[in-house]
Amino acid sequence: MTETLEPVATVQTLPVSISVNGQEWSGEVPVEEVLLDFLRLRLGLTGSKRSCNSEVCGACTVLVDGRPVSACNYLAFEAGGRAVTTVEGLAVDGRLDPIQEAFVDQVAAQCGFCTSGQLMATRALLDENPTPTYDQMAEWLSGNICRCGTYPAIARAIAQVTRATTAEHESIHEEA
Amino acid sequence: MLKPFRLLRPGTVAEAGEELERHDDAAAIYAGGAELLLLMRQGLLQPEYLIDIKHIPELHGIRRENGGISIGAAVTHWDLERDGEIRKHYPLLAEAESHVGNIRVRNQGTLGGNLCFADPHADPATPLLVLDAEVELGSTRGSRVMPLDDFLLGMYETALEPGEILARVRVEPLPPGWGVAYQRIERFFRPTLNAAVAARSGGNVVNEVRMAVGCVGPRAVRLPDLEGRIRGLTVEDAVEAIRGARELLEEVLMPVDDLLGSAAYKLDITVVALERALRTSMMGGMGD
Ligand SMILES: Cc1cc2nc3c(=O)[nH]c(=O)nc-3n(C[C@H](O)[C@H](O)[C@H](O)COP(=O)(O)OP(=O)(O)OC[C@H]3O[C@@H](n4cnc5c(N)ncnc54)[C@H](O)[C@@H]3O)c2cc1C
Ligand code: FES
Ligand code: FES
Repeated sequence: MTETLEPVATVQTLPVSISVNGQEWSGEVPVEEVLLDFLRLRLGLTGSKRSCNSEVCGACTVLVDGRPVSACNYLAFEAGGRAVTTVEGLAVDGRLDPIQEAFVDQVAAQCGFCTSGQLMATRALLDENPTPTYDQMAEWLSGNICRCGTYPAIARAIAQVTRATTAEHESIHEEA
Repeated sequence: MLKPFRLLRPGTVAEAGEELERHDDAAAIYAGGAELLLLMRQGLLQPEYLIDIKHIPELHGIRRENGGISIGAAVTHWDLERDGEIRKHYPLLAEAESHVGNIRVRNQGTLGGNLCFADPHADPATPLLVLDAEVELGSTRGSRVMPLDDFLLGMYETALEPGEILARVRVEPLPPGWGVAYQRIERFFRPTLNAAVAARSGGNVVNEVRMAVGCVGPRAVRLPDLEGRIRGLTVEDAVEAIRGARELLEEVLMPVDDLLGSAAYKLDITVVALERALRTSMMGGMGD
């Protein structure tokens, strides 16, 4: 494919309606705008982070209609007519989501840069499978990288949410 | 930031073909974008037009068809790994699909995008070769069907002609009594190497067998000669034959050094992966 020297002059925008954390946003977005910029720059929702910018690290994980996407590499217009949930939308009426509470209890964050992505990926996991085994957690979250190495604490936090007792959790660990 | 482009949203395969013909090299097919948008961000591609094919009904759905199954090119890895019919009757494909990248890549990326990008380090092509998959290509000139084996030409290279898109992928189930196994050797998110095997055992004897290996050379490869060598052997003799087939494997796989491993390493691991996959499929297959 030949390289185009002149970028297209006209920026094409599309009218979209996106529900973000339960609030409807309607307006025009440039077709090339990625969801992460839409959230961070347009709406000021800076909980979702940019790190690798290439679908690898998971720092930008948000949910679109309940499914995880890398907001860094997902065009914003694709969320038109859909419901986007970011870390800012996890708490309901000022009460933390049980996953957030468990992350706090288990100190499942060190620098915290990956944490919003971990929380969103975990939310999607528990919505699909409320009682994951350790292997299932590890497999699901393998695309959410934590440079601080909080993985064991994250596993404990998830086990706490699934109301595993300490004993059950030990056995979850042994399965691995 | 991505450079601006124009978005086109054809409603049929023929319309997509028309846009491709009209804009030629200035246009790129856009399915999930998991791969394409990354290339654009890195400046490796700068299309003026993205042809969004997700609004073409013909590219969607997993349908039963003449005893087999027909998968739309725009079906995501996420939907494939969860589909009841695929899990039940095509567990080899379901298993491979469940290992693609990570949960977000699987949710966004499509089977068609995967096969058309033709990255040698990919999951689905290897099991699809074992399942004798066929692809249906469409354009303004109509459609044509060919074996996946003929579609995959090499590294990032397919048999798609200008103005043509991948519409559907067709697979027939294995006859009853076959076991299957998928081996994926990984260090990073993409497979370093994979092997898919389907076998029908008669006691300890390999009565029927199909094998494919991916990621070693420019494309995933079916191994008919090796299959011929081990058909009718006991498992232990078959394993010996695989171990002794290094030269044959080197010839057909055309191993290359890359970021995920040296050619020699990948060849060594091919033997291990095939052996493991054969043993598992002979014991009735995955799922235990
Ligand atoms: C971080 C990461 C990890 C990954 N890991 C893996 C892995 O482990 N295993 C694996 O197999 N893959 C992996 N992939 C690749 C991924 O599976 C593919 O990128 C995805 O399936 C591409 O699908 P898409 O719909 O997003 O394609 P797009 O990005 O939309 O398109 C990819 C290419 O195919 C062309 N194209 C798309 N659909 C068609 C069509 N129907 N007809 C003609 N041309 C078409 C496009 O023009 C483009 O050139 C990974 C990708 C990323 C980003
Ligand atoms: S910033 Fe999106 S996956 Fe890393
Ligand atoms: S807590 Fe620091 S990267 Fe995960």
